[in-house]
Amino acid sequence: MEEGRPIFHQIAERIENDIISGSLPEEAQVPSTNEFATFYRINPATAAKGVNLLVDAGILYKKRGIGMFVNEGSREIILKGRRKQFEADYVRPLVLEARKLGIPESQLAEMISAITKEDIA
Amino acid sequence: MTTLTETTHRPESATLARIFNVTRLHLINRFPIMVLPLLILAFIFLVNYVIWWLLFDAVGVADRQDAIDGIQFSGASSFIFIYMLVVAVQAVNLTFPFALGFSVTRRDFYLGTCVAFVLLSAYYAAIMTVMAVLERVTNGWGLGGSMFDVVYFREENPVLQFVLFLLIFLFFFFIGAATASVYVRWRANGMYVFFAFLTLLVIGFVALTTFADNWPAVGAWFARNGAMGVALWSLVPTTLAAITGFYLMRRATPKN
Amino acid sequence: MSPVVEVSGLTKRFGNLNAVDDVSFAVEENTIYGLLGRNGAGKTTLMQLLTGQDFATRGQIRVFGESPVEAARVLQNLCFIKESQKYPDEFMVKHVLKSAPWFFRNWDADFAERLVQDFRLPTDRRIKKLSRGQLSSVGVIVGLASRAPLTFFDEPYLGLDAVARQIFYDRLLEDYTQHPRTVILSTHLIDEVSNLLEHVLVIDEGRIIIDQNAEDLRMSATTVVGPRGAVDSFVASHSVVHREGVGGLASVTVEALSPAARQKATAAGLELSPVSLQQLIVRKTDTSTTEFEQSA
Repeated sequence: MEEGRPIFHQIAERIENDIISGSLPEEAQVPSTNEFATFYRINPATAAKGVNLLVDAGILYKKRGIGMFVNEGSREIILKGRRKQFEADYVRPLVLEARKLGIPESQLAEMISAITKEDIA
Repeated sequence: MTTLTETTHRPESATLARIFNVTRLHLINRFPIMVLPLLILAFIFLVNYVIWWLLFDAVGVADRQDAIDGIQFSGASSFIFIYMLVVAVQAVNLTFPFALGFSVTRRDFYLGTCVAFVLLSAYYAAIMTVMAVLERVTNGWGLGGSMFDVVYFREENPVLQFVLFLLIFLFFFFIGAATASVYVRWRANGMYVFFAFLTLLVIGFVALTTFADNWPAVGAWFARNGAMGVALWSLVPTTLAAITGFYLMRRATPKN
Repeated sequence: MSPVVEVSGLTKRFGNLNAVDDVSFAVEENTIYGLLGRNGAGKTTLMQLLTGQDFATRGQIRVFGESPVEAARVLQNLCFIKESQKYPDEFMVKHVLKSAPWFFRNWDADFAERLVQDFRLPTDRRIKKLSRGQLSSVGVIVGLASRAPLTFFDEPYLGLDAVARQIFYDRLLEDYTQHPRTVILSTHLIDEVSNLLEHVLVIDEGRIIIDQNAEDLRMSATTVVGPRGAVDSFVASHSVVHREGVGGLASVTVEALSPAARQKATAAGLELSPVSLQQLIVRKTDTSTTEFEQSA
């Protein structure tokens, strides 16, 4: 866990990452909060808070007495949210930094397309 | 989920069981309190035995009875009483903070400690009695020596002999416990005041007796009461020490 | 649910020093608390009072609903492991482990045995011959295996190396998830334990200055870094916890920022950085980091 950021956010984020990557497919059972707690060495109440964040968002659902499962369609929900977050987290700082360095918009676009081509090649 | 009931409250265990557990705690490490003193005693006995042998070899047959009378006043076994005083001091000084760390109340600690002292007194009194009787039967281990059957705590009847030893052990245990209680309660300052007070008391007694020319009366008191009488009188300071210890420990705190 | 511990107006006076000074708080059941503060802040004294080992000068303490002083019913449900714990002369490790179940009714001998192996503790060795770290591990083992509904650890790992400390944290967490209980952990190694804590109590000069959920506390401050002028004008409208600077640069820790305020700061070219629990507490208790770390 990294310092300074709410741990329960980080837990929720890691579960989301696992759903996006497919290692936690839809309808799969999610580890219990206690398992999360001992694995990540965090307080179980904090782990529960992270999991509950996803339950509230409809990404996970509880089966009474059995455990926690990934909801159908949750991958799409997460991706949608993440794409929106992408702008704030990456594009905005990118543009601000480019402006600080005096990189014109056209050059920025060129840089992006160059990197994209490089990756494909 | 596994059993969550385990960490919930259970009914309080019975007072006697709690007290007895403290007693067990004192006796769990047997070697230093139940074995080592006997080893030391055995060593002293051996040294004494050699001395008696050398002594009787040196003095002529004519003076033999004189020599036997002389060694009747042996103090060789008195170390064991002092050792028990130290055991009592350690029990109060070190086992007390430990027991509190084991969530014991001061009251249970003190009462369980008293039981341990009584048991240890009985244990050593029994051993001393057996040795005294053996010494008598073997006519001083065949040499006329005396170490356990000494003149100032002699009772012909083995039962009375046991009671006599028991009372002496109890006296040393509880004096040790009370002294250590003063220390645990008030640390070094308590000790200074305590010993200053004790010194004054002894000096006062000696001075008064000397000025009033009462030493013969004191001697007569000891002679009149005999070993058993004096031992029975020791119950007064023993009981006072036990009660004082209790009240001191009830307000004591484990210092760092 | 009623709290496990309730304290109100608690004061402990030593001579003319208030080691604990008019303190009031409550401890909820089945929660891991951190009792944090500098050396001499009053942590140990507070725990001595809560466990009935010392007597309050003023105020009220309720543990499981009653005063802990000389109350067997209360004491049987708690375990207090302290750094300075004394042991009977000549006691060996095995004597401690053998007698512990007589006093702690939830004692798990198998768990204790496993911990002895984890810490590689020689049970046939006399307590006074143990190294400082081994001595600490005796306390840690008793504290964990006793499974007391209320367990206090006062600086439990003096002399333990990083590996052994990690074993302690892992076993504590594992066992806590299986057997929930209330744990009060006093330490100066805040960074190491901060993720284990659910609630934080910070004591400074005998007073509780922070009594807050650990996550909320973590989010309660941000450090703003940038050119002095820009930082100063930004923080003017916020409450400042701590301030430091080098040359034209300023670094100011302020209380929680709203999303709007964060955007405003970024737009002004200021850098926002998170504050660790340790940094936050160090800043709130107004000491330098090194001073805090050295206070053992």
